[in-house]
Amino acid sequence: MDPASGARSVVISVEGMTCNSCVETIEAHISKLNGVLSIKVSLRDKSAAIIYNPKEQAPGALREAIEDMGFVAALTD
Amino acid sequence: FQKHEFFVDMTCEGCSNAVTRVLNKLGGVQFEIDLPNKKVIVESDHSVNTLLDTLKKTGKNASYTGEK
Repeated sequence: MDPASGARSVVISVEGMTCNSCVETIEAHISKLNGVLSIKVSLRDKSAAIIYNPKEQAPGALREAIEDMGFVAALTD
Repeated sequence: FQKHEFFVDMTCEGCSNAVTRVLNKLGGVQFEIDLPNKKVIVESDHSVNTLLDTLKKTGKNASYTGEK
């Protein structure tokens, strides 16, 4: 998905992950949301890099989705 | 208060913290988390369905194992 086609990326800081299973759970759960094209969660950086279709998704909604899972998420930019 | 017991497939402290946060966000609950046995004991007036839906928000596999 090249940026030319309108996809956008956002990095969301995620506090509260302590092991890989949290990473996998978040990646599996968030990737199912419509408009999410790809997600890469880094345990080391405590962040989630998400590429999304701005027509269907927005950074605020993605942050909320992670918070609903019980993690502390904040937009970094 | 009704006391309910749930199985939640928690594997680490991060998972149990996530359960703590989703339950606190729901409110109206008193709960105990037994991470090694993957159990969450909840005292609340909420229905079992509400509690189960809340626990499932963590993205973890959760099921109702009965009243205590």
